[in-house]
Formats: sequence, structure tokens, C-alpha cells
Amino acid sequence: MLLARNLKQIAARSPWLYRINSGSCNGCDVELATTACIPRYDVERLGCQYCGSPRHADIVLITGPLNRRVKNAVLRLWEEIPDPKVTVAVGVCPISGGIFRESYAVCAPVDQYLPIDVNVPGCPPRPQAIIEGVAQAIEIWRTRL
Amino acid sequence: MPTDLLILVSVLIFPGGLFAFSLGLMLKGVDRRVAARLQGRVGPPLLQPAFDLIKLGFKRTMVPDSAAPGVFLAAPLIGTVAMLLAVALVPIAGVYTPDPRLGNLLVLLYLLSVPGVALMLAGSASGSPFGAVGFSREMALMLAYEATIVLVVAAVGLRTGLAEGGVVTFSLAEIVRHQQEHGAYLLDPLMWPALGAFLFFYPANLGIVPFDIPEAETEILEGPLLEYSGPALALFKVMSALKTVVVLSLGIALFCPIAPHGIAGLAVWLASMVVLLAVGISAVRVSIGRMRIDQAFSFFLKWPLLLAAASLTVVVVV
Repeated sequence: MLLARNLKQIAARSPWLYRINSGSCNGCDVELATTACIPRYDVERLGCQYCGSPRHADIVLITGPLNRRVKNAVLRLWEEIPDPKVTVAVGVCPISGGIFRESYAVCAPVDQYLPIDVNVPGCPPRPQAIIEGVAQAIEIWRTRL
Repeated sequence: MPTDLLILVSVLIFPGGLFAFSLGLMLKGVDRRVAARLQGRVGPPLLQPAFDLIKLGFKRTMVPDSAAPGVFLAAPLIGTVAMLLAVALVPIAGVYTPDPRLGNLLVLLYLLSVPGVALMLAGSASGSPFGAVGFSREMALMLAYEATIVLVVAAVGLRTGLAEGGVVTFSLAEIVRHQQEHGAYLLDPLMWPALGAFLFFYPANLGIVPFDIPEAETEILEGPLLEYSGPALALFKVMSALKTVVVLSLGIALFCPIAPHGIAGLAVWLASMVVLLAVGISAVRVSIGRMRIDQAFSFFLKWPLLLAAASLTVVVVV
């Protein structure tokens, strides 16, 4: 029992990130890329790694207002991610629709369709805010393991 | 101790099995850390690959509907077991000499290509189009680099065999012993072309930039590994860690197996592994981009093959 709990504490140190762009303007995606790969904000310190496949993901970062066109693809993709997982909405678009809200073409807010665990508002959010969001997501993920 | 038991120990505990497993994970950690430092980042903790494995153990294994479940789940096992056996085949100078009944250099060459075959099986059994692309790329790359390594091994074997007054030898233990008595091939100008060819071979065999084409994550989403999750993916990670140990220690055994006996020899061996990894893998991986498959294919059929053939010719003529 104790061993399993310790192992889970260790496992929580390896959160792999997966980005879903649900029709974002790419502003938040650029901020996500800089969060990971540049010397100033290295999220690999926390054991994070961007992975190419949804099957490898633990923490899902969703950007964009969920276009009507990509809605089904995004929901399907989210289903493909093995449990346990944590979902983070990055930027104001998935939270409320941002500048696209009330448009006929977007389905925001995303939490109508997916259980969002952490919101990181901003247009785009600062890298520090994204890292804080990821850190909170790791804490939530630790309880789900 | 009966020799059967010794063989079992060498496969399961040292230098195969447990030892190689932890060493491989540590080498992966060193690689990630060195790469991060070279890019000016802090980098993950040294034990990060171990954390990743434990994490994957807690995740769910998903088998796609379009996959062939048996082959899909067996592929990582096949690759890992082959690598476990392969580690026990490579001598460590002054520390470990494999039992001749385990096999020789030729068996090792076959075992070395098993992880590639396992990846191809995985890619084709997963039923994913990205897996299929990865499969074809892995096969093309393998065809390109296999000729090089065979010629390199033949050159080293022939040089040793001729110097010992016989014909070509495929016993790694004998190659290591010869170099310990007559100096390392690293310092022998006749063997430099073979060494060069080997330096091109091992990033391709390990699937590292610029030759990580079959698993290119930014273009084909890790290809054969795309559909794997949880413990099955963890097994592939173990396979790749073991393979790093096998290929690096093969390089050391072929070209520079000079070390004192006992613990000091082990320390020298570990140090040369880390140096070879940091210089030959981490530094290369952060400084250049990925080749296209056609570029890598024609590259391998030109320069490394030329070097290896030149080396073999030189050994025969001189």
C-alpha cells in the first residue's frame, strides 16, 4: 500500500503534455512552444515533455474556441487519451470564446463538452501563467493517479 | 559455480538484465540533461527516464480496434528480450567475458536488428497510417545501415584474425584480448575508416537525430509508437535504453577496450560510455536537424559504406 503510494508520488513527476489546437489563432500555441523549449521557461525541469501522440499524454492543453468544424475531431481526440488525464484550457478562447464569442462558428465554452480542470485565461496568457497552470494540473493529476 | 548458472546471471543480473536496465535509464537521463544544458536549459532530473517508466506503469494500455492485438502487444516484448540477450554478449574489458556458448559477433549482429524489426511489427500491427509510414521508413533505414555495420565488423574481425595468424575471427572476446595486448584500434590509423563508419552507424541504429526518421515525432507523431500507451510503451522505452547500452558497449569493445581489471575497469568503461554518449549523441542531437529518409538512404549508401569498404580493403591489402 505504502509502496504503491510512493510510486504514485514518483509517477506524478513525469507529466507528458499534449497540445490540442481547436481553431486557435496560434497566439497561445506560440506561447506554449516558448514555455517548453527556451532557456528562460524550461518546463522539462518539472519532467514535462511534449509528446506527439495523444496516447502518450497525461496533461492536455486545449487552445482555441472549439470551432464547429473541429469540434467532433477534438472530442474524439480527447477520448483517445488514456486515463488518468487532466485537461487545461489555455487562453481566454476555450474559457468563454474570447473575441469569437457569440459567433455562429464556435462552440465555446469548451467545458460544455469536456471536463476542464484548470483555466489559464489571457489573450495570450503569459508563459509564467501557463507554467503555473501546468503546475496546478500536476497537483490535480497526482490525486487521480 | 556451474557455468549454466553463470550464463543465467550474466543475462539477468550483470552485465545484462538489472545492471544494463539501470545503466540504460541513467544514460538516457544523462543524455537529456546534457542536451538541455547545451541548449542553455536546466533540464530534467537525472532519474527522469525512471520516473517516466513508473508513470507509464500506472496508465491504461489501449489497443486500437484496427490493430492485430497479439502482434501489437508482443512486439515490444520481442525487442526487449533480444536486447537483454544482446547485452550479455558484449564483453567489458577487464571485467566480463561472455561465455562462448552464448554466441559470437554474428549472433550479436542479428540480435541488434531485432529492435528494428520489433518496431516494424509494431508499426504495421497498430493499424495506423502513421505506423505504416514509420514501418516503411524503418525498413529503408535498416537496409541502408546494415551493410555498413557488417563491413565494419568484418574489418575488425579480419584485422584481429590476421594479426593472430589465422583467418577472420568473430569472437568479441578474442578481439578485446588482442587489443589489450597490442593496443586499441582507436590508435591504429588503418582502422580509422572503420571507426568513422561505426560513428555514422550508431545514431542510425539508435534512432537519434539526424537519423530518427522512423519515429520523427514532429512529422509522423512517433510513427510505430503512435498507438502505444501505458506498460507497452514503457517496454519500448526499456528496449531503447538497453539498446543504447548494447551499441555503445559494442563500440567500446570493437575500438577501445583498454581498461584495468576489476572495479577500476568498470569505472573506465562507464566513463567511456558517458563520454561517447555526450559527444556522439547529445551534442549531435542538439546541433543538427533531421534528414529526410531519401537523404539518409543515399547518405548511408555513399559515405559510411565507402568508409567501411575502404577499411576492409586496407585490412586485406596491408
